[in-house]
Amino acid sequence: MEEKLLTITEAAEILGVSVDTLRRWDKSGKLVAIRKEGGTHRYYRQSDLEIFASDLVKLAHDWINDGMELPVTFYCSNSSIFQARLAKMQDALMRSGTFDFILPLIVAVAGEIGNNSFDHNLGRWPDIPGIFFGYDIGKRRVVLADRGLGVLATLKRVRPELKNHLEALRVAFTEIVSGRAPEARGNGLKFVRQVVAENPISLFFRSGDAELRLKKDNDQLFITRSHINTHGCFAVIEF
Amino acid sequence: MRIELKKFGTTLISRQAGKEALAAFQSSLAELKPDENLEVDFGGAITFSPSWGDEFLTPLLNQLGDRLILLPTDNPSVRITVELLERTQDKKFRRA
Repeated sequence: MEEKLLTITEAAEILGVSVDTLRRWDKSGKLVAIRKEGGTHRYYRQSDLEIFASDLVKLAHDWINDGMELPVTFYCSNSSIFQARLAKMQDALMRSGTFDFILPLIVAVAGEIGNNSFDHNLGRWPDIPGIFFGYDIGKRRVVLADRGLGVLATLKRVRPELKNHLEALRVAFTEIVSGRAPEARGNGLKFVRQVVAENPISLFFRSGDAELRLKKDNDQLFITRSHINTHGCFAVIEF
Repeated sequence: MRIELKKFGTTLISRQAGKEALAAFQSSLAELKPDENLEVDFGGAITFSPSWGDEFLTPLLNQLGDRLILLPTDNPSVRITVELLERTQDKKFRRA
């Protein structure tokens, strides 16, 4: 049976973006619409929308780079929305029944990375406030991203001697320091490191032109220079 | 006195929520006698993070010292959080 085609309005509703955004995405090739023979109206297959929305890494990456509208499912404009969706992810992980011991750790790691974005950028977002937060339990992946100041700019306030993003990531994941000094806080990334070092969870984290990889059951930090420059932070957790 | 953290929710993650939980707990804390211990029960709390813990447990540790007792739990997010808070505060929590 042929799949029913959705109108652009229906597709916009499903993805939680505006019709204009879908028109732009069609023009740019980001999400190409279908046109019936001889017609000008745009249509979409439900399955194409699902494939589009399942590529979390690409969606987050594109949002960090172009700041275009995001499917509403993935955008948390404030911390309360993020907390609610995190609780929803916790429920979904519990329902799947397969994660048991590491379940609280997956949620806590995602929570600390997302919280960091809000705590360090509150009142200082350069353009778009909030974060990208998406997860795919089948693929065992969580993706978080923000268009905030990034780790270097945040840490420089308390560590003015930091020279580059590579040094900033190392400090953020290894030293007890606060980016909100004189408040004694901001050590969530040390928690993330310890969790990954002791458990079957891995992390990719990029800020500025520095990339960090923490591998499952391994306490080594792999920090390298990236050819991509990320404003803010971009993280992929795999479990 | 015993406090059950599950009464504040099962996902104890954000600083704001930790701060609100501590504020809500103040009236009960006022009833704690000068020689009485406060036991923290983690049972039923699914996810526990350093942000929430730092806003809730750290002030209680500073206020009560050894009168604050953490009850045992198998939850790994509690164990790693408590260890991190001890390192950042350079203080030890008393365990039951």
